[in-house]
Amino acid sequence: MKLFIFLVKRFLRLIITIFLVSTIIFFVIRVIPGDPAAVIAGIDATDEDIEAIRAKLGIDKPLALQYTEWLQRVAIFDFGKSMITDQPVTKLIMKRFPVTLTLAFFGILFGVIIAIPLGVISAVKRWSLWDYLGMAMSQLGMAIPSFWLGIILLLIFAVQFHLFPLFGFGGIKYYILPSLSLGFARAAVILRLTRASMVEELSKEYIVTAKAKGLTERMIKYKHALKNALLPVITVTGIQFGYMLGGAIIIEQVFSLPGLGRLFLTGIYQRDFTLIQGGVVFVAIIFSLINFAVDVMYSLLNPKIRIQ
Amino acid sequence: MKNVTRIILLTGLLLLLFSGLTFATGQEEERALNVSLSGNPDTLDPQKTSGTLTFQVLKSIYDTLVEPDENGKIVPALAESWDVSSDSLEWTFHLRKGVVFHNGDSFTSKDVKATFQRILSKDTASPKAKEFSAISEIDTPDDYTVIFKLKTVSAPFLASLASGWGAILPKSLIDSGHDFASKPVGTGPYSLVEWVRDSRVVLQKNPKYWIAGHPKIDKVIINIIPERSVAVQGMLSGQLDIAFRINKEDIPTLKKDPNIRIEKDLSALILVMSMNCSRPPLNDLRVRQAINYAIDKQKVLDIAYGGGKIVNTFMDYSNPYYKDFHFYSYNPDKARELLKEAGVGKDTEIQMFLPQNYEAHVKAGEMYQEMLTKVGLNVKIKLVDWSTWISDVYRQAKYDLTVIGHTGKLDPDGTLAGYGGPKRYVRWVNDECKSLIDQARVTIGFEKRKALYDKALEIMAREVPFMYLGSPYVYNAIRNDVVGFRVTPKLDTLDFRWTEFKK
Repeated sequence: MKLFIFLVKRFLRLIITIFLVSTIIFFVIRVIPGDPAAVIAGIDATDEDIEAIRAKLGIDKPLALQYTEWLQRVAIFDFGKSMITDQPVTKLIMKRFPVTLTLAFFGILFGVIIAIPLGVISAVKRWSLWDYLGMAMSQLGMAIPSFWLGIILLLIFAVQFHLFPLFGFGGIKYYILPSLSLGFARAAVILRLTRASMVEELSKEYIVTAKAKGLTERMIKYKHALKNALLPVITVTGIQFGYMLGGAIIIEQVFSLPGLGRLFLTGIYQRDFTLIQGGVVFVAIIFSLINFAVDVMYSLLNPKIRIQ
Repeated sequence: MKNVTRIILLTGLLLLLFSGLTFATGQEEERALNVSLSGNPDTLDPQKTSGTLTFQVLKSIYDTLVEPDENGKIVPALAESWDVSSDSLEWTFHLRKGVVFHNGDSFTSKDVKATFQRILSKDTASPKAKEFSAISEIDTPDDYTVIFKLKTVSAPFLASLASGWGAILPKSLIDSGHDFASKPVGTGPYSLVEWVRDSRVVLQKNPKYWIAGHPKIDKVIINIIPERSVAVQGMLSGQLDIAFRINKEDIPTLKKDPNIRIEKDLSALILVMSMNCSRPPLNDLRVRQAINYAIDKQKVLDIAYGGGKIVNTFMDYSNPYYKDFHFYSYNPDKARELLKEAGVGKDTEIQMFLPQNYEAHVKAGEMYQEMLTKVGLNVKIKLVDWSTWISDVYRQAKYDLTVIGHTGKLDPDGTLAGYGGPKRYVRWVNDECKSLIDQARVTIGFEKRKALYDKALEIMAREVPFMYLGSPYVYNAIRNDVVGFRVTPKLDTLDFRWTEFKK
């Protein structure tokens, strides 16, 4: 029962979030300069051409009417057709989503693989060689822009050694280099956080108690402290994952990957109102789902935090 | 915990190795032509866009009744020949027999009629509809004859038919409401295999193409590569055969490879600094002249646009209607003098709007600003994105100065229509010029039209609604064993029909 109420609450919150976000974006994109009809018409069109296109897109109607019509359609998950490409928005997004999901998944995976072990070792063996290595890596990760790393990785692994493709898109091999360049920057953040969190945990009183009880060092560090230390790490990792699902625009650009980032960016450039609106709602839903997943993981890892 | 870490590390490592290996052992198949293009077309429906990228891809999928040849002269394509009535109001096209659409339909006059009905329909809302608005009736006396009846004489009519938006679609699919935007079907040399948006367009040879023995290459892959350096590396590593429109800065890198050649062309683009003649101080002719005198044009062409040719008129150099005028050559002293006379100085702020996604125009704008500052003007730069540029600057003339390039057109009317009137974004009103342009549109015969356009262009050059800079050189990188790649003049579309691999 508790779980049920929790789910209902969560769902209502999701609906309100989507409503607010979509309302804001609906008006913002119409207030800023730029008209999709003018973009379609291009440079030689006459005013009559533009009016005809506006009528076809339905953006000649009063704003309030456009808004209510749009809300009605969103309520049944119909995002309409993209104004510039004439394709259903849902179809465009769903074609791109697997690309971005794979990229984000491997990005986070690489990030976590590098960051968590190194972060833990750094905290346990503070001021050791491992610690310095970890700190150096996180400094680098934060300082190096991911697109630059991407280009360097391409030059080494695609141009010099022909291990990975330079461009194109298909199987898993197209995701490794972009995920690495994406994951490296994430690793920097996660590593720092893991180390800090672990250090803090190790200085708490229950650790002393555990020591007094005569538990082994190993048991204390890796079972008790780590479990608690990982909580904030999971939150941050989850949120970073969410950001990546919105599309890693620059990385997609460098690796010519057809992900959500480029779809949305083009949509914004061309003032493709329906596509932007659909995209924002989609990202809002994804974010809410990830937050939910993070909460569930929390309670699994730590029974102290019960679902409320 | 240590074990878990080990397992994760190991899987990661294996994954890396595995993915590398599978790529290395990919088998060889018949060689496809790999081409790079910097951007993704919005749609593949030739009637629903004005975007150049769309037509660059569609040239391979669709044919038009007539088309420009290598020199820009209009020659037969799907129509074998045509006659024009003595009053120029009736155009009869005799269609080629035995042409087949990719879906198997035979090409007949019914397809032509349905195509133009579609583009003229309000439901299509085609941005190019007005180019065919002179059509009053389309008759199809038999399967291979089409007669266009026009309301008014239209000199540019043939050029419109030859442009990408004159593409012929099959009637059966028009009637069934086919999604041409993502699944184009035409009579062209290639049919579409797949289009992965923002990644690639794969084209397969049309074995029944009407030019016997063409196209030569079975498969063409247009790779959409936004990152310049990736396209360059793609050429160097042999993964690309043609890099379309490379930057001048990349030429030295590419030239080091003996297997790559660079083809240089003078583009039909006319680069301009446009002036809003309805706003002070630019409503004063002297100020506009001063701006023209103040610019060292060759320097801007060389630095911002990677080289080019100075053109002082609104017609590109290869155009038969081209005539140059030399009213305002570089002379900063003269510029200062004129500004003094006009009483315009540092206290008058002039806003220059630049389209930020066009790196070259922004660079040029910055150079203009510096040169104008030297003669005593106060120019402020504002960067805007493309949508804002086209809606605010171009549509509503909310600007003082802006920098842009006007693409070449098959017919001069495409370039000049509307200038001299109040609606064009330079807001330059000149009745004489406007009536000359209007008259030329309904005049048949090259010599007669040229006389009219010469006068109109001279007025424009003298009155400076634009400071004409010139046309830039464009560069394509091509592997040495690829020959016969053509770019359609003025339209800048990719033509693979004559392309082949040299043995």
